[in-house]
Amino acid sequence: MLNFYETLLLLYPAEHRAIFGEEMAAVFGELRADNLKKKRLSRAAFWLRETTGLLSGALAAHLRRPDGPFAFPIGRFTMRNGFRFPKSTILFMALILGGVLVAIKKGQDIASSVPDVNPPLPVHIQPAHSILLGGMPLFFAFFYAAGLIGWVILFALRRSGVHRLDQIAGEK
Amino acid sequence: MIFLLDFRRNLAHYGVVRHVVHSYMEHLPLTEPVLLILLSLIEQPRHGYSILKDVERMSDGRVVLSTGTLYGAIRRLLDDDWIERFEEKETSRGRRAYRLTPQGRRNLQAEINRMKHLTRLASLRVAAKES
Repeated sequence: MLNFYETLLLLYPAEHRAIFGEEMAAVFGELRADNLKKKRLSRAAFWLRETTGLLSGALAAHLRRPDGPFAFPIGRFTMRNGFRFPKSTILFMALILGGVLVAIKKGQDIASSVPDVNPPLPVHIQPAHSILLGGMPLFFAFFYAAGLIGWVILFALRRSGVHRLDQIAGEK
Repeated sequence: MIFLLDFRRNLAHYGVVRHVVHSYMEHLPLTEPVLLILLSLIEQPRHGYSILKDVERMSDGRVVLSTGTLYGAIRRLLDDDWIERFEEKETSRGRRAYRLTPQGRRNLQAEINRMKHLTRLASLRVAAKES
């Protein structure tokens, strides 16, 4: 039984195992000893809880590693020293952009497949490249400018990320 | 009328407390398991098994943590400097134990204050509804 637990512990990142592995196995051993006296249903609940706890814990430990292969922001997004922009955000941005491009292409296909017999209203769909090169940069420029103004305000109020990092470094 | 003024004063007070709390602690509100772990450690330093048992006792058996959940929470609390790890000298096995840091104690107090104000606000709202 302990072997099964130790096998599941292998799912954790090596660094986590090095710090907590032995301790977790020891605590599990104590809990298992307590649980031996209980009824079969309680024992089954204990095993289920421990197995799901370990699986979800291992997944969370992998997702929480900022430098890990599955870096993914979970919980609150906290900025700290050595913080890196999560790869998942780039992936999602790429997916959204891909989705928008596919939607535009679909729209164009539908527009071209409709027979041009006295259309009630002229349907004008901009080509994807003209959207990307025309209005989109202006759209993004507006939000970047708004973001920049916001950051300047935060900086003036000494509440920007730079000040936060200084504060954290000062506390340590 | 008096009740309304009192209610508004409490609402404003809650807003101020919320602002102050959030200005130095971004991790609030805490989840129930994390709150119980911290409450367990405020009494005395404890090792993993002792925390699990104390959490179960405090919640009357409602919150039963697995080792995976416990050590996930411990890891986050260590990373955020809310708790610290040390080797117990008293035991022959030299087990690792955990205790609250001053920062952890401050943050726990902030969470307790936040909850107190929230409870007070909730009571006022319920009282207003019932009257």
